[in-house]
Amino acid sequence: MSNVLLQLNNWYAGYGDVDVLNNLHFTVKEGEIVALVGSNGAGKTTLLRSLSRTLKGRGDITFAGRSLYDETPEKVFESGLVQVPEGRLLFDQMSVHENLLMGAYRRQGKAAIDASLERVYGLFPKLYERRQQRSGSMSGGEQQMCAMGRALMANPKLLLVDEMSLGLAPVIVDQLLEILSTIRNEGITVLLVEQDIYAALEIADRGYVMVTGAITQSGSADELRNDPHIREAYLGL
Amino acid sequence: MDLLFQVIVNGLLLGGLYALMALGLALVWGVLNIVNLAHGALIMLGGYAAYYLFTLLGIDPFLALPLVMMMLFVLGYILQRYVLSLIARSPMFNTLLITFGLDVIFMVLAQLLFTADFRTINPSYAGTHVTWFNLTFPTVQLFSFAVAMCLTVGLWLMMLHTRIGRAIRATAQNLSAARLYGVNPKQIYALTFGIGAALAGAAGDLYGVVSQITPYIGATLTAKCFAIAIIGGLENPLGVIVGGVLLALIESLTALYVGPTFVDVASFGVLVLVLIIRPQGLLGKTA
Repeated sequence: MSNVLLQLNNWYAGYGDVDVLNNLHFTVKEGEIVALVGSNGAGKTTLLRSLSRTLKGRGDITFAGRSLYDETPEKVFESGLVQVPEGRLLFDQMSVHENLLMGAYRRQGKAAIDASLERVYGLFPKLYERRQQRSGSMSGGEQQMCAMGRALMANPKLLLVDEMSLGLAPVIVDQLLEILSTIRNEGITVLLVEQDIYAALEIADRGYVMVTGAITQSGSADELRNDPHIREAYLGL
Repeated sequence: MDLLFQVIVNGLLLGGLYALMALGLALVWGVLNIVNLAHGALIMLGGYAAYYLFTLLGIDPFLALPLVMMMLFVLGYILQRYVLSLIARSPMFNTLLITFGLDVIFMVLAQLLFTADFRTINPSYAGTHVTWFNLTFPTVQLFSFAVAMCLTVGLWLMMLHTRIGRAIRATAQNLSAARLYGVNPKQIYALTFGIGAALAGAAGDLYGVVSQITPYIGATLTAKCFAIAIIGGLENPLGVIVGGVLLALIESLTALYVGPTFVDVASFGVLVLVLIIRPQGLLGKTA
């Protein structure tokens, strides 16, 4: 049994007096790809903000054996919990190469950063071809690659990928999913937060289904895919 | 004809200093979205710092540059960290109000501490010049032009090629993303404002050598810097060189051919034209 990397227990979080997340339990183990799926307003973004510690909350939150409860966003990032944000949030006016370097902003040591660059360019040959191009001028799929590459430059233990498939052609999404599998095979754990449940379950080991701030279903990707409720609600089958 | 060329030379040399004056304002504006109305006052303080270093300690104003820049950097860093951070990301009007307040405070303090007398820094070589092609190049103007160019190009290279420069640009372009990747915006903002103030200090030092300092020069200089930043555009430090040289040339030529009273009409007329025709600035890419 592999080790638990991220765990939320009895987690409550929200805005003002209103809790969006109610008594949430959630676990990601080392080396897994976990899908967190749910429609608009299910609380996925609130959960991600809790994880990055940009939103307070109540309950237990541990990552790599340490409580994150009192940590600042910067410390959380440094401990290896790195986001690929929804909407990519690239530095539009900067080149692809500079975007990647910004991912390594908190890291020291040129040799290690160069090694990461080489690895990212190996994973995304397209980014190497375009390394001097302004990131804002690339296609959506290429921008998503750049955002993923930038996150990898931070040397993550856990990669949080938020709404990766949004607005991208299915064939591009498939390519990106394949790359996520490769990333996992290199030892990086992946948490895939998606509205597109079908895409997410394609490569995930396990999944959680979130509805109005609570986990309503969890299980292996196969179980979820074959679950009659989910097939009806999300896949329209 | 010789007079025309001489006026162009004077304009070019002055334009370098103008560029340096506007550089810090443009940097702070572009990154922090603060139009720093106290920028001219910071230039004034830099001028007084250089003046007292020269008269009291006998330090040459050009050698004093690093010292003056360091003093103003510290002042700028503290101002941003503890005063201007109070209005971080608030509407532009608040930033105008608070920096205008700072401008008044600095002006009154300078009047109390340094008196309202005109001051000028007069090193031994102040009156000397070199002659090339029948044209006169005053030594101090030539030096300050060279220093201004070096600092402007230096800042440009720093922004392009260093880790801090990248972080400053990244913060300006996408604050949320910069935070996500571990950039501390408070620190970046304070650093940026500090650099802006240091550049104002350098400009003040040079200004004290080629012109005169009083506690009241701030407002006029801020207005000039504002015009230069608009004309050149905020995205590219080289824009302020274009803006500075252009403004200085317009001023010199207007003074010669139209009359000294019309200098401001011409320079701010060009500002209005640029705003109408090319609002992103001459070197700006996007509106």
